Amino acid sequence: MTLTPERQRDLLRQMWLIRAFEEKAENLYAQGKIHGTMHLSIGMEASAVGAVAALQPDDYILSTHRGHGHCIAKGADLDRMMAEFMGKETGYCRGRGGSMHIADVAGGNLGANGVVAGGIPIAVGVGLSQKMQGTGRVCLCFFGDGAANSGPFHEALNMAAIWTLPVVFVCENNQYAMSYPASKAFAIPRISDRAAGYGMPGETVDGNDLNAVYAAVSRAVERARAGEGPSLVENVTYRWRGHSKSDANRYRSREEIEAWKEKDPIARFERWLAQAISLSEPDARAVEQAAYAAIEAAVAFADASPEPDLAAIEEGVYA
Amino acid sequence: MRELSYLEAIREALQQEMRRDPRVFVIGEDVGVYGGAFGVTRGLVEEFGEQRIIDTPISELGIAGAITGAALTGMRPVGEIMFMDFTTLAIEQLVNQAAKIRFMFGGTATVPFVLRCPAGSGTGAAAQHSQSLENWFVHVPGLKVVMPSTPYDAKGLLLAAIRDDNPVIFVEQKLLYKTRGPVPEEDYTVPLGKADIKRAGRDLTIVATGVMVARALEAAEQLAREGIEVEVVDPRTLKPLDAELIIQSVSKTGRVLIVHEAARTGGYGGELAAIIAESEAFDYLDAPIVRLAGRDMPIPYNRTLEYHTVPQVENIVEAARQLAQGRV
Amino acid sequence: MAVPVILPKMEMSQENATITEWLTVEGETVRKGQPLLMVETDKVSVEIESPADGILAGIRFGAQETVPVTTVIAQILAPGEELGAVEDPDGQAVSLKTQEFALPADDRVVTPVARRMATELGVDLNAVSGSGPGGRVVKADVEAAASATGPRGLRASPAARRLARAGGIDLAAVPGSGPRGRVQAADVQALLAQSTAESPADELIPFAGMRATIARRMTESYQRAPHIHLRATADVSAVEATRRRLSELGDEKITFTVMLVKVCAWALCHHPRVNATVTDAGMQLCADVNVGVAVSLPEGLIVPVIRQADQRSLSDLARALNDLTVRARAGTLTPADVADGSFTLTNLGMFGVESFDPILNPPQAAILGVGAPVRTATEVGDQVVFRPRVQLTLGADHRALDGAIAAQFLADLVAALEQPELMLL
Repeated sequence: MTLTPERQRDLLRQMWLIRAFEEKAENLYAQGKIHGTMHLSIGMEASAVGAVAALQPDDYILSTHRGHGHCIAKGADLDRMMAEFMGKETGYCRGRGGSMHIADVAGGNLGANGVVAGGIPIAVGVGLSQKMQGTGRVCLCFFGDGAANSGPFHEALNMAAIWTLPVVFVCENNQYAMSYPASKAFAIPRISDRAAGYGMPGETVDGNDLNAVYAAVSRAVERARAGEGPSLVENVTYRWRGHSKSDANRYRSREEIEAWKEKDPIARFERWLAQAISLSEPDARAVEQAAYAAIEAAVAFADASPEPDLAAIEEGVYA
Repeated sequence: MRELSYLEAIREALQQEMRRDPRVFVIGEDVGVYGGAFGVTRGLVEEFGEQRIIDTPISELGIAGAITGAALTGMRPVGEIMFMDFTTLAIEQLVNQAAKIRFMFGGTATVPFVLRCPAGSGTGAAAQHSQSLENWFVHVPGLKVVMPSTPYDAKGLLLAAIRDDNPVIFVEQKLLYKTRGPVPEEDYTVPLGKADIKRAGRDLTIVATGVMVARALEAAEQLAREGIEVEVVDPRTLKPLDAELIIQSVSKTGRVLIVHEAARTGGYGGELAAIIAESEAFDYLDAPIVRLAGRDMPIPYNRTLEYHTVPQVENIVEAARQLAQGRV
Repeated sequence: MAVPVILPKMEMSQENATITEWLTVEGETVRKGQPLLMVETDKVSVEIESPADGILAGIRFGAQETVPVTTVIAQILAPGEELGAVEDPDGQAVSLKTQEFALPADDRVVTPVARRMATELGVDLNAVSGSGPGGRVVKADVEAAASATGPRGLRASPAARRLARAGGIDLAAVPGSGPRGRVQAADVQALLAQSTAESPADELIPFAGMRATIARRMTESYQRAPHIHLRATADVSAVEATRRRLSELGDEKITFTVMLVKVCAWALCHHPRVNATVTDAGMQLCADVNVGVAVSLPEGLIVPVIRQADQRSLSDLARALNDLTVRARAGTLTPADVADGSFTLTNLGMFGVESFDPILNPPQAAILGVGAPVRTATEVGDQVVFRPRVQLTLGADHRALDGAIAAQFLADLVAALEQPELMLL
């Protein structure tokens, strides 16, 4: 359970990659290089990285519309990811999916999802499949606080529980379903309280504390792998940016956003690493700079990549 | 040849394929000990156990998600939605997820499942248990839609559907379950996307789907006594459609009557009519393309009202006669 | 450089030719020497070949259009090349637009719905007077114009339309038995069956090409040249016997027509005034004896000419006549084959016609019409025997030939036919 110093340094690197990717994504959008929309996870890096760190490389994840962080944490190739983001043929989905559908099936990422709660029922099927095939793999399903109030959440958690499926449900409670605050949307203090209703353990952790996320999700993964069934982990966190590119932030105050920025999960993990493994400030900045450089290289790759061939427009509709 | 009912033919297909392929499993409400609401899966749990004949809670969306996720990771599930009407509760997973995953993921994944949907009226089950919603799914790129009309086709198409690498909506009309017909015992498939001429004729083509195929054949028998020779074409697979065979038939007869049970407006008949009108068969049409379909209304409970809501043999006879005699 | 395709002048007096058919279309790549179009002159039908390799462009005249010779009718372009400047034979520069569209005058105000209806109903907006404010053409105006020209809608099933197209039937003439009077396949089929059983409806075939030429020239000849016709009969048993004997002796089959050509040529040598052409200015004696022989084709009559027939042997005449006849039927005569005739021979004997009065082939002064041989009782010595006799009718232009001169010529013809050996003298 205890992470080696190398692994911890790598997790810091992943968080910086996510931050750098998201900032670049925002920047590319501003330059008009990206069309459509995107949902940025700046401020939520510890939730993605801490949760996926608890998995084995061949385990599955199901991601959400705010999924760039999950994808990077699962080990995606940044070049192919950026190429997909820019709609290029070399992207993970050959430019067909874009930000909301980036999937790395071979790498165990069964896809971001444009539909809130869209991935939760699929996680049941993936868990069922693992159990029937006896693969020993676990499926980790990310979703947000908004999804926890939609029907699929209820059906899926119940089914996973009654069939003791190897699924870990990770609710990233970033406080808002678009503009609707979790404080209004739930009549219970913690979303993880719902786990009891399906007969599975539920735990709420500080989602900006990578170690706390890692520990809680590790317990859930262990349980799943042991055949004891699913768990629900709630990572309480905050997205610094708006819901999507069309969010004017009318529903929250500047003070609130600034207060959460003070709780920056990356700075927090760096402070902890300085204590735990004596990570020096120059070392930390080197990690940060390497991350930004890697993202620039990915953009260069994507920029140089070809557009999809129009002649192949209908490929992939049917197998 | 040995005769089986349509229901038994489906069950035999499931049984044979589950014996052959360990990736295949059945999942749905009351499909286990109960044997399914219509008894299609009766006896299967005894042979394959609860691990492969999986009863679910009343969670249609959950079923759809379960077959999607399982298919995405190596299995070949066969889901059952007790009444096609309840696909309304599952449609998010079917339409937004299963149908699109392969395309959205740039062709890097497959979702090979079959979702069996007992459908149609005629059982007194009224408005929420009698619908024919096949055309909703026909409209969704990425899904295939199959609608067998005979026990032979049911077995062969189900085996083909399970082996297909795409999500397939398998529409079983409840009134057909008890109909009997020859079914070979051995493993055989009816390829998806192949229509069938159920009866050859020269005066008029009837394109009918599902239970309407049998009604069209009965109508054809009556009309033959009047000297009107009807050709009955059964698409069998609504998507992908074997347009070629239909176009050939209509080019031969010059007259076409389209018959389906689903409500007329926005129904599959409109698509068939358009395909015919757009094709080289147009120049052979000697009368307007005529559709005979369910009324644009919910299926009523009352027996007489229900009977008159969807096309019956006498309606087909009358419509076909008018068309064949150049009165339309 | 754009290479012009011109309508070539094929004979001296030719002024125009009619395009009968384009064999290729604009935009098509063509090779030098490839036939581009068919053209019909007064006398022959010829193919016009491409003068260069390239792309056919700028076609200025369609089928059935009559075009002055030497006119540029199209151009052959290199790929990507623009159409070149074109001048008509009269020196006028011409517009190179191959198609022009009549547009409503700019100052006309037409409401959108009226414009749409006009398009739908095929109404020419230029022909519609506007009743709206400021003369604006409104919906009602278009409706009125449309109804004045009769209903354009015609109910017919696609199958009926297809059959009518294939059978060349005007759908408007087919009574419809379907609902709302719709014409159905069976209606068209019934009419097709009927039309093959009954005589077809009156049909106007416009004079075109060769037919138009014949019509014009015969009218001119009949109206301008005062015809006289002289008749005589000749016993052809001797000439027939000679013909048979010579056919057996030589390689060529000597037909009766060949013998007639020979006889005419011989007689013409002795009557130079008959071997002549006539214009308003006077008569011109022809130096050569060029005997034209009328050949009947499905589309009309053509008269290929055997030049210097008087100087040819019988077998030579037979070869020449055979060649000209074959090529006339194949449509491959050249303008030279039909030019410069000084006299015409027309024989309708093979149709059983005994005698007829031929119309002069202008500008020639005389023409000989020959009928079928008829067995006729003839007094030979003390006996009456039956001999084949042929009626000869000489048509002559009275402006140039008087009856006596014509009669002497005719008498020599009869003599030569009855005693072929005279020609050896």
